[in-house]
Amino acid sequence: MAEPDTPRVAALRGHVRQAAVGLREIGLEIDRDPTAIDRWLDLPAVHIMSGCTIPPEYLESPLRVDGHTYDMSSCLEHTVTIEELSYGDASFMLACPGPIMSGVTVGALGDDRQRDAYYRRMAAPEPVWTFFGLTEPGKGSAATELETVLEPDGDGFRLTGEKRYVGNAAFAELGVVFCRRAPGPLGIEAVLLDTDTPGFHAEVIPTVGMRGVRISAITLDHVRVEREQILGFETRKPSRRGLIGAIQTLQRFRPVLTGTAVGLCRAVLDHVRAQRPALHGAARRRLAEAQDRVEAVRQHNYAVASAVDAGRIRADRIAGVKTRAAELAERCTLLAAELLGPAALLEDPLLDKWYRDARAIEFMEGTGHIQRLAVFQGVLKGTFLDRAAAAGA
Amino acid sequence: MTTVDVPLEKTTHELAAALDDCHDQAAPGDVVVSPRGWVIASAARVADGAVVPGGWAELHAARRETPSPARQQALFADGLLRLQRQTLHRLLDAVVRRLEERTADGANLLNRQLVRGAVADVALALSEADDLSDQPGETRRRWLIHQVLVAAGRTLIKLYGASGFTAEGPGHLVHLLELLGNTYLHPGEGGVGDG
Repeated sequence: MAEPDTPRVAALRGHVRQAAVGLREIGLEIDRDPTAIDRWLDLPAVHIMSGCTIPPEYLESPLRVDGHTYDMSSCLEHTVTIEELSYGDASFMLACPGPIMSGVTVGALGDDRQRDAYYRRMAAPEPVWTFFGLTEPGKGSAATELETVLEPDGDGFRLTGEKRYVGNAAFAELGVVFCRRAPGPLGIEAVLLDTDTPGFHAEVIPTVGMRGVRISAITLDHVRVEREQILGFETRKPSRRGLIGAIQTLQRFRPVLTGTAVGLCRAVLDHVRAQRPALHGAARRRLAEAQDRVEAVRQHNYAVASAVDAGRIRADRIAGVKTRAAELAERCTLLAAELLGPAALLEDPLLDKWYRDARAIEFMEGTGHIQRLAVFQGVLKGTFLDRAAAAGA
Repeated sequence: MTTVDVPLEKTTHELAAALDDCHDQAAPGDVVVSPRGWVIASAARVADGAVVPGGWAELHAARRETPSPARQQALFADGLLRLQRQTLHRLLDAVVRRLEERTADGANLLNRQLVRGAVADVALALSEADDLSDQPGETRRRWLIHQVLVAAGRTLIKLYGASGFTAEGPGHLVHLLELLGNTYLHPGEGGVGDG
């Protein structure tokens, strides 16, 4: 498969790669204290993350490299960016302020006024963290089975329920909450919510790794919601808002998340090579095999991201590449811990951190079990293993 | 072969106590030092140590100058593998009970074929670990069993969903068992082992 590095993508990759230098030490600091991101907000990497998916006209200094302007509306460019930042440190990258997933949802579902207000707020000089509230304690990320309810209250609504495993929610100013206004899939809505609204409460859930994400639990206790906070409520049919926004956002972000996994894998394998340049025999072979597998999933992911940019959404292939990358992230860290020798996890803080961080990829944006269902459907339809279809023929 | 009575509950405190039992079985009243000169035990047993990576205060790691005699290391390694296997077995039983109570699309999660497949994968790995115990080459065999159990633990923990990644969930036990294996069972340079 051809490299996707057109001059435009190559310029972006080179710029982000430079911005990712030095993030690992800070990532270790964030692993010990996730609020440490507050001390590093002037870094170029933070600037990149803060501007992702915000139209350039809203930004005082949009990302410009070698005459190109980037807003990460391209899934491929977004993926390359996240991969390179994750090569620096994935947990740091995910700790950064910015639109992350909520921006894609607002872009997909919001009307002009909603998007304008959101982008203006995100473009303000002060850092703004956001969240994407889909997952629930009882139902996981099954969007069609949401139990958080949006009930009429005068000329507006009240929002009640719980969300769990939501990145950065305890530190965010605003975010998107998916909820149920009426029975059935058409009754699902996406609400843009300020976290200082009475009845909103979020707190961090301590995790094994990837602590920069500051995974949080949200409680929504009769939170007042105005009609204009419901994305697309005035301009879209029920079939074109709510649920479809969750699906579109997840599908758009899975190649990006795969970029996170690939960046982490590359970092781990390069670290092994740097620490053990004289590996030989079976150990050298296994490292090479892992490298080949990472490169294969990386190229596959570029093809998937390019297909998304071309409007060819293939849920089975998106699910497949995300699943493979998540597994590979774990395998690479397991291999590294073995190849770097006894007690490597005690003696090598970076390895220990990557080893813990890698496990987060599995459950982010849908577990492997859910992804396998999509792959299974692709096999039934004869699309998943159809190379011609994969190439867009 | 020694026997290790592992508590049913899944807390780090109990893992630390069970680990201390492993030390006592191999080196009564003392601790077993790994080939690389590390000790991991309860915070009470290794008061001069540091909290293990990840920040679970119940287990401490410390450097010692001299590795324990090979016989003690072998006894400890066998106990550690049993601890790992028994812990995973109990976590599997617990997650099956948990999945029986959860539903999606109106169906019991345990009736999902993928879930059943994952449960079966874990059980097969635990069975394979038992089968491997008869293979020759102590060091190589222990490392291979540990790897099989690590893979089983990774499969198992996914059945818990994201709760398997929380610091208070079963994920931290799985991680600590991997850390212990990495420290005490790793066969050495290149990961090949001398068996």
